[in-house]
Amino acid sequence: MSLIQRRGLLAAGLALPALGARAQATQMTAAVYPGGWDEALRAVLAPRLLQQHNVTVAFDPLFAVDQIAKARAARGTPPFDVFVLDPGPRVSGMDLGLFETFDPARLPSRGVLPAGYADNVGAAVAAQVVGIAYNPQKVPKPAGWRDLFRPEYASKLGLTGFGTTFGTISLIEMAKALGGSETNMDPLFAELRRIRPSVAAVAQPAAMPGLFQQGQIDVMYTNTYTVTLLRSRGVPIAFAVPESGAAAFVTTMHIAKNSRNIAAAYQYIDAMISTPVQTALSLDPYFFVPVNKEVTPGADVPMRSISEITNFVTHDWTRINPLRAGWISRFNREMAG
Amino acid sequence: MNGPGVWRLALPLGLAQLMFFAAPLLILLGTSLATDEHLREGSLRAWREVLGDSFHIQSVVNTLRLGALTVLATLLLAVPLALVHMAAGPRLKRAILIAAVLPLLTSVVVRTFSWIVILGREGVINSTLIATGLSATPVALLQTEPGLILALTQIEMPLMLLPLIAATARIDPSLLDASTSLGASLARTLSRVVLPLALPGLIAGSTLVFASAATAFISQSVIGGGRLNYLPALVWQQAMVVFDWPLAAAMALTLMGSVLMVVGALNLLGRGARHA
Repeated sequence: MSLIQRRGLLAAGLALPALGARAQATQMTAAVYPGGWDEALRAVLAPRLLQQHNVTVAFDPLFAVDQIAKARAARGTPPFDVFVLDPGPRVSGMDLGLFETFDPARLPSRGVLPAGYADNVGAAVAAQVVGIAYNPQKVPKPAGWRDLFRPEYASKLGLTGFGTTFGTISLIEMAKALGGSETNMDPLFAELRRIRPSVAAVAQPAAMPGLFQQGQIDVMYTNTYTVTLLRSRGVPIAFAVPESGAAAFVTTMHIAKNSRNIAAAYQYIDAMISTPVQTALSLDPYFFVPVNKEVTPGADVPMRSISEITNFVTHDWTRINPLRAGWISRFNREMAG
Repeated sequence: MNGPGVWRLALPLGLAQLMFFAAPLLILLGTSLATDEHLREGSLRAWREVLGDSFHIQSVVNTLRLGALTVLATLLLAVPLALVHMAAGPRLKRAILIAAVLPLLTSVVVRTFSWIVILGREGVINSTLIATGLSATPVALLQTEPGLILALTQIEMPLMLLPLIAATARIDPSLLDASTSLGASLARTLSRVVLPLALPGLIAGSTLVFASAATAFISQSVIGGGRLNYLPALVWQQAMVVFDWPLAAAMALTLMGSVLMVVGALNLLGRGARHA
C-alpha cells in the first residue's frame, strides 16, 4: 500500500465516526511547522479532535521563528490559538509575554507525560534527538563531533548556523568537543575558519536535506526524524550518535495570549499527547519521537522510551538565547571569510 | 481620454499604493530610526551598524555586483538572440518568443532547485566533466559566485529578452536596407541604427534584471549559500531569527536605496542616449 493511500485510510478511519455529526463545531487555529508536521497533524490530530471534542482546527503552517514574528507583529490579537515551538523560540515567546499561563491540570492525559513535561508555560508534545547524519556509502561512520573537522569529513560536510534549535545545539556540542562550553564558541569559530574553504556547503537549514539527497554533502547534523524520513524516500543515510552522546530537546505547545478558544486549545494539546495520536505519529510515514511514556519510539531513535531522555545531552536555553544573536552574526562573518 | 478629470482613473491604484506601500514604507523608516519595533525611543544605532560596518558595506557591494554581473551576462546572450529574432521569419519569431516566455511559466523556486541538480558535486555538469575526462575531481560550482550568476542568468533571462524583443520588433526593416544601400557595413548598421533604436528595450531589460537579481532572496540563499553574503538574506535573518527589527529595517532601506540609485542611473543613461 502506498504512503498516500495508507495516510488517507488512516485519516478516513479516524474521521468517519464524526462525519455528518454534530453541527456547530468549535473552531480554532493552530500554528504548525510546514511539511511533515503539517501533514501529520492534519491527518492524525485534526480528525481525532473533531471526533472527541467536536472542535475543528485550521492550521497555519509557520516555522517557529515565523510564529513568534507573526504573533509579535499582531500586537496582542493572536493570529492563532496554539503555538508549536522548539526551546529557543519558546524562551523568546516567554520573554515577550506571548503565552497564556498554562494549567497542566486541564490536560486529562497529563499522566502519560514524564514529570516536568507540562508546566505553567506549556506542554511537551514531541521530542527531537540530534546527532550526526552521514551517507554510509560514501564515508565511514563518524565517531563524534570532532571528526567533522577532519579533512575527509569537512570536504563533505554541510554547515548550517545558529538560526535553528538543532543547528545551535549541534554547534554547541562541537564547541564543547573542541574545548569550549555552552557559552564559549571561540574554539568552534577558530576551527570553522580553518575548514571554511573546504566544506561542501554552508546553507540554510531547510536546504540541507535537498543538498544531502543530491550528493552535494554526505555529512550533516540533524535530527533522527530527518534521517528516517530521507531513508524512507530511498536516500542512503544513517544516524550516528556522537561519542559525547546525542543531544535531545522537546517541542512544546503553548496557548497564545488573549486566545478566545482556550478550552478548545487545551483539548487540542490533550489530544496531541494522547496515546492513540502519539502512537500514530510515531509510525511510518510521520516518524515523530513520542513524549508519551506509553509509546515506544521508532527504530532510528536511540531510546526505548521518553523516560531515557535524561541520559541525553540537554541545554539551558535561558543562557543560550541572550548570546545567540551574537553567534548568528559572527557565523555570517566567519563564513564570509 | 485627455479630459481634465482623466487622473481620476488612477485613483484606485494610487490610493492602494498610498495605503499598502507608502504608509508601510514610512513605518519601516520609523522602525529603522527607533530602538525597537514599538517606536517609543529614537536611535541611530541601526544605521550606524549598517553603514559603519565593513561587513554590511561589503554585503551591499556584493549585492550590487551580483545584479550588475547578471545584467551583463543576460545582455551578452539576449542581444544576439534578439538580432536573430529580428531577421527571422514569422514561424521562427514565434518559436523564439515562446522559448523566451516559457521559463516564466515555471515557478522561480522550481527553476532555482533545478540548478542545484545541475551545479551540484554530483550534478549534470560535474558528471559530464568527469565522464569525459575533462576533470578528475568535481569542480565547485554550487555555492560560488560564478555558479550563482550562471543560474540567475537563466532565471532572469525572460526579463531581459522580452523588452528587448519588443524594442527590436518595432524597428522598421527598411531602415536597415537604407543603411546597407548607403554603404554601411553590418557592424556599422548594428551600432549606428539598431543599437540606438533598441536602447529603450535594453535599458528596460537591464533595470528589471538588475532589480530582480539583486533581490533574488531564494536563488541567493539556495544556490549562493552561506559563504556569499547578500542583503536580502541578512534582512530576513535580522527580522525573523534575531528579531532586531530596526537593523532589518535599516538594511531593507539600504537595499532599496542602492537598487533605486542604480535603476535611476540606468534611466538617466537612457534619457541621455535618446537626446544625443
